[in-house]
Amino acid sequence: MTTMARTMPRRDIFAFWDRIKMPLFYGVLILWTLISVFPFWVSVVYSLKPVANSYAPPYLWPIPFTLENYRTVLTQFELFPRWLLNSTVVAIAVMLIRTLFCAMGGYAFARLRFPGKDLLFTLTLFTMMVPGQVTLIPQFLIIGPGVIRNLTIAGVEIPTGFGLLNNLGALILPSIVDAFGLFMMTQFYKSIPTELEEAALVDGLGRFGIFFRIVLPISQTALLTLALFTFQGTWNSFMWPLIVLRSPENFTLPIGLQWFKGEYYTLYSIVLAGSIFNSLPIIIIFFLFQRYFIRSVAVTGLKEA
Amino acid sequence: MYRKAFALMALLVVAGLVLTACAPQTVTVTVPVKETVPVPVEKTVVVPQERATVRLSGWAANPQETALLESLLYRFSLENPDIIVKYEPITGDYWQAIKTLVGAGEEPDIYYMDIFQFPFFAKEGVLLPLDDLMAATGTSRDAFIPDLINAFTYEGETYGIPKDFNTLALFFNKDLFDQAGLAYPTDDWTWDDLKAAAQQLSQPDKNIYGMGVPADPGRFPIFVFQNGGRIMTEDFSDTLLDSPEVAEAARFYTGFYFDKSGALPSDVGEGWQGTAFGKGNFAMVYEGGWLIPYLNQQFPDLKYGAVLPPKGPKGYGNLIFTVAYVISKNSKNPEAAWKVIEFLTNEASQTTVLESGFALPSRASLINNPYFESHPESAAIFQGANGATPFMWGLYGSDVNEKMGQALERIYLEGQDPEASFQQAAQELREIMGK
Amino acid sequence: MFSQAKRRKLSEWFTAYVFLAPWFFILFVFVLFSIGWAFYLSFTDYNLFSPPKWVGLSQYIRVLRDRDFLQRALPNTLQYVAVVVPIQTFISLIIAFALDQNIRFRRFFRTAFYVPSVTSSVVISLIFVWLFSKVGIINQIFHLKIDWLNSPTYALPTIMMVNIWSTIGTMMLIFLAALQDIPLTLYEAAQIDGANRFQILRYVTIPALRPAIFFVVTMGVIGCFQVFDQIYVMTAGGPLGSTTTIAYLIYKWAFGSTNIQMGRASAVAFILSLMILVVVLIQRRIIEREE
Repeated sequence: MTTMARTMPRRDIFAFWDRIKMPLFYGVLILWTLISVFPFWVSVVYSLKPVANSYAPPYLWPIPFTLENYRTVLTQFELFPRWLLNSTVVAIAVMLIRTLFCAMGGYAFARLRFPGKDLLFTLTLFTMMVPGQVTLIPQFLIIGPGVIRNLTIAGVEIPTGFGLLNNLGALILPSIVDAFGLFMMTQFYKSIPTELEEAALVDGLGRFGIFFRIVLPISQTALLTLALFTFQGTWNSFMWPLIVLRSPENFTLPIGLQWFKGEYYTLYSIVLAGSIFNSLPIIIIFFLFQRYFIRSVAVTGLKEA
Repeated sequence: MYRKAFALMALLVVAGLVLTACAPQTVTVTVPVKETVPVPVEKTVVVPQERATVRLSGWAANPQETALLESLLYRFSLENPDIIVKYEPITGDYWQAIKTLVGAGEEPDIYYMDIFQFPFFAKEGVLLPLDDLMAATGTSRDAFIPDLINAFTYEGETYGIPKDFNTLALFFNKDLFDQAGLAYPTDDWTWDDLKAAAQQLSQPDKNIYGMGVPADPGRFPIFVFQNGGRIMTEDFSDTLLDSPEVAEAARFYTGFYFDKSGALPSDVGEGWQGTAFGKGNFAMVYEGGWLIPYLNQQFPDLKYGAVLPPKGPKGYGNLIFTVAYVISKNSKNPEAAWKVIEFLTNEASQTTVLESGFALPSRASLINNPYFESHPESAAIFQGANGATPFMWGLYGSDVNEKMGQALERIYLEGQDPEASFQQAAQELREIMGK
Repeated sequence: MFSQAKRRKLSEWFTAYVFLAPWFFILFVFVLFSIGWAFYLSFTDYNLFSPPKWVGLSQYIRVLRDRDFLQRALPNTLQYVAVVVPIQTFISLIIAFALDQNIRFRRFFRTAFYVPSVTSSVVISLIFVWLFSKVGIINQIFHLKIDWLNSPTYALPTIMMVNIWSTIGTMMLIFLAALQDIPLTLYEAAQIDGANRFQILRYVTIPALRPAIFFVVTMGVIGCFQVFDQIYVMTAGGPLGSTTTIAYLIYKWAFGSTNIQMGRASAVAFILSLMILVVVLIQRRIIEREE
């Protein structure tokens, strides 16, 4: 490209660019498609092969074909539907609540002026920088038994924890808003122009009204992106539910499915079938959302590079 | 186009959900243990007013073992209507979870304790001594295999009742031995027999090796023991990794790799030598009883046998891997918890454990069980406990393992001399131990 | 009586605090207490089971002299961040640009690129271990005989590749959302002013993407400094410590050892947090100076 740029006049560069642009784009896109999909494809193939064939070729096609692994997942665990339900309830609740709260908080950080804003924003970023391993135990104490047991002041027992162990609430409450989502929405609101809001402000609409009537509707793409990330993150979260949930009937899907991973060995075909079950809801959500991700072609046409 | 592809995929999955009833039965994947335990279906039990609740946690090794435990607990509940046992399996990183729970004072009444992790829990006093409870119900320490119950004894007090155990056996591939025209290994084999057989079995051009020799701190130490050496001093206050016995054992062990009569699992593209054995890449491996159900499920056609590990210059040596039930010091119902443990380790329950084929029972009296006659591989692993050493290196066990593994890796990957490599390991370990 | 301006200002404060109320709740009830507790522990000798003992700065001193930290974890982590962050940002930006064009099958491509993000991390690790094994497909295609994950030279680069592969889908989606939200009026204005396409890219698209770039790079930096999952599953810090990162060391000392060192793990955690903070602040200054 650089040698081209030196020898060709400007107009020709664009002509040349226009000619190779599409093949180049498609080439890049197809190559990356293969790289992206290949591992998932292999896991689908293996989940459809008998356990005893999991080390035998062919590797890219399920021969011999069986649905036995899926049946094993469904029949070995009477609690499978229950885990699915638990995961769904938690993921959807967290997704709805967190998306709203992060949008509100992000808007405040991006647009509103208030004392202590810069400090609070930097602090918010900092909370993501401390590795979760060292905050696990205090978090556990707060959600569960309390930091100080049997704290009584003037004869009244003051609880210092939420007492939510073995309760799905322990998965929802600490997740209603998080630094990642706040940060993401802040950056998003910083990047969209302020004209619409200023006009509404002149028209006498209050900040609440502006946010709920004007800002939320135009941030559809960002909200859906955050909702997807939140759903997925909550759906796959592992260490926290493992520690706060106790009875098998309260497990979420990833924790329940982990049963197939043995201490010494693992029956991969069954693990893969389980993981496909685990990925399906996220794929479905992605499909439901994705028509909103990109504006119609007519609109986009204008900004072709 | 892509829509069709995805529709097809979705259809396949839906079909999977719908057609499971009439799917072709290619292989039987699971052993329905639940059915092997005879359970009375109906039984009227008088439920007392006061019921004690006991929480029990363990790792969930696989669904079959869980089913086995649950069926035993069900039997227990029929005999002890005044006690409710809540089974709370931990399916992820067990030690991170249990350490967090103990640290927060929220651990279950009863939980699994691996011998490798035991020293720290014992030293910190978070476990309940069981001797008084044992005396109250007349349970004797002598009823259990001495090495196992001794392993869970700290400063003269018993802290855990072994639930099962494993040792290492020499597994061999009968077909590969037949092809090479060699006689099968016996319990009387020595290092020389092992070496000679490995050399004759190896066909590196066909990706077949005589022996698996992974850089695994759970395998290598038996060669040290067979050479008369130790990993740690008697009181675990210092390491003996720099002793000549260890260096010689390492030279012998890694020698298989250098003369191509043995290989690492990764050389044949596997993470675990059990898989390499199943696929016929390794003719012999040192593994425990966990290999048996794995081979039965993944490699049902493989013909194999298992014998005691061959003797070294200083005789026999083996490792014992064992797990016990322990009671938390915070337990509010220690008597009820003890009743549960007693039931799970009594002779009837232990026989059920043995017959399930997943693990070996800790009761000394089961040595003459007829199961062993029909299952010689399990018998070899059960007998392997005689004169074996528990897999436990004291408080710094995980560091010992790490340094031992790295010492072997340095020999394999960087061609370092075994003596120098293990001296470096000992020195680094002493640094960590604050020596 | 307040003046109009003053009242508006107060109402803006009020709105901001109301909007941030949920975050204040989480921040003060869960986050700050936990971080403060961990910070306190970094000055103690603490093994989870016995009460912490105050030891002052000695955990920090011990860490800064520790062989595993200095010779393995620190250089490995810095190398990891320096390689992975630029590559994952660049590739995801390129792909987002490509997807933002008027091309066919956009939905298909977008879904395909997001597939790595929905594949479970255990499966990803399994498959990459298999692909990169000594007799694996990668070696077969390129006629190599490298034992990727068991070689001190290649293990870390292999994990870097896995991480780049699995994060690009997410980052691409963020860039795509940002690209989609650039107002068309900006492009129209630039076109009327006679800007050519490179100028539009340079003066319209890139500046409008700046907040998204800051976001993606910051999350990339945080994620890479704290890289743990894939290492835990694929190599457990080996071979010969070549994939031991700071976050893996924290896990090892906090939970993975038979002799727990929570105090020391906390000390490393704060050294790590400080390193991330410095990098993020520098990076913020660079990105914002361009404005």
